[in-house]
Amino acid sequence: MYQALLTRKYLTSKIMPLLAAVAVMLCTAMVLTVWSVMGGFLSRLLESGRSLVGDVTIEWPNTGFAHYDELIDLLEEHPRVKAATPMIDTFGLVSLPDNRVEGVNIRGIDPKTYGEVVDYTQALWWKPLDKPAEKDHKGEDVRLDPRYKELFEAVYQEGLSLSEPDSKTGVPQWAAVPGIEMLGLSKREASGIYRLGSLGKALPDGGVANVMTPAFQQRITVRVVPFDREGRDVRLVSRPFAVANEFRTGVFEIDRRTIYIPLAAAQSMMKMEEAKSAVSGGTPAAGGAFNPYDLNADGTPAVPVITGIDPARVTTVLVRAKDGVSPDELREACDQVYETFAEKHRDVPAARTLRENNLIRTWEMRQAQFVAAVRKETSLVLFILGFVSATASFLILAIFWAMISEKTKDIGVLRSLGASRAGIAWLWIRYGLAIGVVGSLAGGALAWLVVSNINPIHDWMGSVLGVTVWDPRVYYFTTIPNTIEPVRAVIVLISGLVFSLLGAIIPAIRAATLDPVRALRFE
Amino acid sequence: MALLNATNVHKTYRLGKVDVPVLRGVSVTVEPGEFVAILGSSGSGKSTLLHILGGLDRPDAGKGEVVFDGTPLSAMGMGGLDRYRSERVGFVFQFYHLLPELTVMENVTVAAMIRQGRLRYKAAEVTERAKALLESFGLGHRLGHRPAELSGGERQRTAIARALINRPAVLLADEPTGNLDRVTGGTILDALAGHRASEKLATVMVTHDQEVAARADRVVRLVDGRLA
Ligand SMILES: Nc1ncnc2c1ncn2[C@@H]1O[C@H](COP(=O)(O)OP(=O)(O)OP(=O)(O)O)[C@@H](O)[C@H]1O
Ligand SMILES: [Mg+2]
Repeated sequence: MYQALLTRKYLTSKIMPLLAAVAVMLCTAMVLTVWSVMGGFLSRLLESGRSLVGDVTIEWPNTGFAHYDELIDLLEEHPRVKAATPMIDTFGLVSLPDNRVEGVNIRGIDPKTYGEVVDYTQALWWKPLDKPAEKDHKGEDVRLDPRYKELFEAVYQEGLSLSEPDSKTGVPQWAAVPGIEMLGLSKREASGIYRLGSLGKALPDGGVANVMTPAFQQRITVRVVPFDREGRDVRLVSRPFAVANEFRTGVFEIDRRTIYIPLAAAQSMMKMEEAKSAVSGGTPAAGGAFNPYDLNADGTPAVPVITGIDPARVTTVLVRAKDGVSPDELREACDQVYETFAEKHRDVPAARTLRENNLIRTWEMRQAQFVAAVRKETSLVLFILGFVSATASFLILAIFWAMISEKTKDIGVLRSLGASRAGIAWLWIRYGLAIGVVGSLAGGALAWLVVSNINPIHDWMGSVLGVTVWDPRVYYFTTIPNTIEPVRAVIVLISGLVFSLLGAIIPAIRAATLDPVRALRFE
Repeated sequence: MALLNATNVHKTYRLGKVDVPVLRGVSVTVEPGEFVAILGSSGSGKSTLLHILGGLDRPDAGKGEVVFDGTPLSAMGMGGLDRYRSERVGFVFQFYHLLPELTVMENVTVAAMIRQGRLRYKAAEVTERAKALLESFGLGHRLGHRPAELSGGERQRTAIARALINRPAVLLADEPTGNLDRVTGGTILDALAGHRASEKLATVMVTHDQEVAARADRVVRLVDGRLA
């Protein structure tokens, strides 16, 4: 009772406890901010898997596997599987409109089924919008402009189908969808939107005109090195593509270095489409064409004899889990399904081979090294910060020690009025608790302010101070994670409270054990 | 039966290796409602005696006993002593000892808070009594002030009000009128006389003032560590 009164009076009339509360506030804010950003980074990393490759991938790089349609049918029959889609995942070179040549990841996808496994439609950037994106407060997004609604609708459809009508004939052509950071034409704004590209063009009168050059009106050339069925490389294959649209996942490396092309295009470029295998040795049909240099042993002209059909191949099958199925459970399912599949076909890699090479993987497994590094780094930083925060405890201890010396006489008076030792101890512990509560809550609020505005703060730092801490090339994502998980907040705030309490305990014990008469005579 | 009975109390302070005997066998009896004045030169141990009577300090081990209402203080135990100080005794210290962060009003009610605890605290009743006490001491217009804003005499009167808020059986006052002019001091003594009559409040008062001593039922002198 009197403790509450005195705590309130001490808190409001003294500067020292306020300093202690500020120390607690700064410590909790610091730990919570760092944990939120780094932990948010980690969980974003894990979540991004879904938008990039689905939950589980089954791979056989380079040569790829045949009969993938059958594998996909088998997978989709499994109760844990929601959808599966084939993909060719390979490296290649892209010649960009500004004549740069970049090494990129080429993904040949089947646009119809790909969207069922991966949030592809979400990722397509250029499409008409009805309302501004989350951070676009001023509504400056060009996609909102009603004049371009039709244009963007067409561009969106082209992105969905990965095809674009030929400018002269109108016949649909294969088209590509690169990540939005690849061409360097679409410029990101602080508010998270992109401006359409424009280039300065010299005019005959010596002036310069700003010419709109939207990325989706460009052409690029894609080059790949195909492998044959045995894994030998053949020769460089190059093919021009119209850019249909651009996509954005928010994962910088992907947005900069990935390009989608139609699966059929990739299969044809990679020599993975269905092919007939043949040997020479037949005799040409009467009046049929033949190669004069291809002769049978007896000198008669030879023609190829079809010995079989070499089925189309893909390097990867992406699988998405049904809701509530964890990636690891799905991986087990995929493993089983693949086993059944491989038993039926002699021309696909054995289940054991895939297993030994760890090629049926969740996104977390694909990113294992990186994820582990981030995890380690997060816990190390938290450990160090926790250690630093422990100094707040000592600060409170020192401040309380000083205050108790100052308040010795008051303690003597309270004892003379009948306050018990426990009551005096509780007075100080309660006081520490009050500082902890005030400090922690203020720290939580501060962290919330900082974390939820971390991107504007970072942009401001970049433009005013010229400091860029979050380089998307290093940290993967173009924006800094900006949410605080309630569980983390609770843990950090309670720790702040506990540290404050720890700091108060020793001074409280000292206060409780003071001899009242000595305390009263204290000068 | 005597309310408060001290027999053969010794108190020795140790300064390094030297023993400084302050009280050497003090015996005193206080009846309910009685007013006992203690006279003595500075340093003679008057404050020390009051502390011992109030259960704040102890006589030297095995040398002397203080009995309140039939119960020896040494048998009360820690919690018992806390309760004794809170419920039975009112202290008025030589140097006021008010809590500087609290207002006059709060300085008085805090004693009741300690006594009654959180659950049994009767705020309205306590506030009313505190107000009445302070008004009777001429402090009705000072309720919201901090001790630092009061004169020495006003502080002393606040301290007296604090000592009386819990309706103690005995008031142990260390020169409560030392800082007051004759008229104010007289008023306070009149008020205390009223409490003695109405609440059977026993008073042990240290004083240097012969006039104050003259109002007491009994005057004892502390000389050479003994009462004469
Ligand atoms: N903690 C202590 N250690 C050593 N000596 C002490 C201690 N407390 C009190 N004394 C001594 O005991 C003696 C009595 O002190 P006390 O305060 O009781 O005197 P007093 O009679 O109240 O004097 P005054 O009239 O000046 O207030 C003094 O000589 C003082 O020096
Ligand atoms: Mg004294």
